[in-house]
Amino acid sequence: MAQKAALLIGDIAHARKEWTAVGEIAKLYEYPSGSREGFISKCKAGEYKDLYAIYRSNDSNKHTGNFDQELIDVLPSTLKYICHNGAGYDNIDIPACTNKGILVSSTPVAVNDATADVAIFLMLGALRRVTVPFQAVRNGKWRGDFQLGRDPKNKVLGILGMGGIGSEVAKRAKAFGMQVQYHNRHQLPAKEEEGAKYVTFEELLKTSDVLSLNLSLNASTRHIISKPQFDQMKDGIILINTARGLLIDEAALVDALKSGKVWSAGLDVFEEEPKIHPGLLEAGNVVLLPHIGTGTVETQRDMELLVLDNLKSAIKEQRLLTQVPEQKKAKANI
Amino acid sequence: MTRQKVLLLGEIEHAHDSWNSLSAFADLITPRAQTRAEFLDECRNGRLDGVFVIYRTFASVGITGRFDDELVNVLPDTVKFICHNGAGYDQIDVYVCTARGIRVSNVPTAVNDATADINMFLILGALRGFNPSMMSLREGNWRGHPPPPLGHDPQGKTLGILGMGGIGRNLKKKAEAFSMKIIYHNRCRLTDELADGARYVSFEELLSTSDVISLNLPLNQDTHHKLSTREFEMMKKGVVIVNTARGAVMDEEALVKALDAGRVASVGLDVYENEPKIHPGLIANPHVILVPHMGTWTEQTQTAMEEWNIRNVRSVLETGALHNVVPEQADV
Repeated sequence: MAQKAALLIGDIAHARKEWTAVGEIAKLYEYPSGSREGFISKCKAGEYKDLYAIYRSNDSNKHTGNFDQELIDVLPSTLKYICHNGAGYDNIDIPACTNKGILVSSTPVAVNDATADVAIFLMLGALRRVTVPFQAVRNGKWRGDFQLGRDPKNKVLGILGMGGIGSEVAKRAKAFGMQVQYHNRHQLPAKEEEGAKYVTFEELLKTSDVLSLNLSLNASTRHIISKPQFDQMKDGIILINTARGLLIDEAALVDALKSGKVWSAGLDVFEEEPKIHPGLLEAGNVVLLPHIGTGTVETQRDMELLVLDNLKSAIKEQRLLTQVPEQKKAKANI
Repeated sequence: MTRQKVLLLGEIEHAHDSWNSLSAFADLITPRAQTRAEFLDECRNGRLDGVFVIYRTFASVGITGRFDDELVNVLPDTVKFICHNGAGYDQIDVYVCTARGIRVSNVPTAVNDATADINMFLILGALRGFNPSMMSLREGNWRGHPPPPLGHDPQGKTLGILGMGGIGRNLKKKAEAFSMKIIYHNRCRLTDELADGARYVSFEELLSTSDVISLNLPLNQDTHHKLSTREFEMMKKGVVIVNTARGAVMDEEALVKALDAGRVASVGLDVYENEPKIHPGLIANPHVILVPHMGTWTEQTQTAMEEWNIRNVRSVLETGALHNVVPEQADV
């Protein structure tokens, strides 16, 4: 049997040595940058002979476009594994992969701390309405048109999506004296709840003082926060999103900020990144970051190493370490 | 019972009911003065004679100037108590007050959570390097071209707390939720119970081993410019410093030099040597995160602080003693 090959799409910034070492167990291809058409041409021209596993990332998506049905159809038939760098993988059509016998891994856990840290930074910034003073200070106006903020102590934090990241957000929020409640597809076992109260989606909306979105984006969660949900929320709620922009109807959020239904918001993600709704840029009561949830030296390296560990495991043992939950029961057609 | 006179310097913004309830047994007066010179005159010409206790705010320094030797010595003889609404009371020369038989109170505890929250916010902002990203986003450049260097995670980093009082200990608990390791330096080592697992180190060890240094100590003669050129040279290269205490604890000019030289990677500041003026070298640096002295600026905390200060005034009127005195007067 011919030696298996691995393809790196995009960049590895912190674990180059470890990627090169994969060369001991597989032939290495690289597609560092390009266009979707360019990538599809190369696949169709048979440039990736014996391709068995791909290393791709959310960052590399711009060089190939989404891994949708069209693209998956042109991947070599020898391909069995896609090892994805990112906790979010909504740019991969998982059912289409499963149908072709391709198994997919992501990078959970490695992202949890860094993303939760961003959520808390945004929450504190939103509670303290920090944008107006930030800008006033840099413009020589000291405090500017300043308004008093709120303390987190004794406020109710609602977490929508109590997965790995949501749990880390909960842990930190408790240190700031907040009470935590959550809604999930299913209630967690008691010992994983760490004192957080399980509530229905409606109760989460109605009774949270701060709402943090920590759920994954898929067909059923798109625009899960829209006008009907804003209407159910407490007046003056604070909304935090470090998950995916498409979870929120951004125009409806802008309206809610204007009306005061949402007192302030902290966002790391947007519906059409890098485009941001102008209403958000104009609002003095939002804290905005350009999707840098995992932007640290330590976490970026940990994520790259996890993808490589998945890749090596796929090549040597025909199994993934952190396969996406939607596929857990599937097996590759070897 | 004789009605005492209470002088209000500054504004009551929230605790109106509590303040007004004092009028049941005291005369509440305000000065006419709009400037320091006018205030000194008002003290000298007898209009404020009979004042027993002064309630002052941080912002009232804009009218009276500092409660220094000159001012304290023209206060009416009847003044026996100054209740300062704020944790930091460096605007008041406590030694001169003691010499004149005036007792001073401040507002500890009520400030702890809000100040530690801003403190943690600044630690995250500086360590993660969020400021350039927030700025480039608002300039229409998303992450920036080229994007700024990656930040660092707090997990496993050593946070050195300089000044382990109420705010420092409150910060410790919050930083530990981010898995930071806490070391501290204080005038005196704390009991094991208060230190709650934080390791006591010398000032020099704090400087040389901390990844993040947080300033949580009061400003006084001993702590002025506590961090200056010599101290910056002792720190780890790439250290992050956060100051929510008083600007003058750090030599702002030396800080700018250390930032420009790359010795200090980033700072998070709520306070500055000459507020509201900020060293232009800080404004020009996109990697630092700057907020305008808003450590306690929430509805709840501002209200709690006023209530605390009013309670001290009430305590003096009812019992002749303060609820708490500043540490320098604890044995007086």
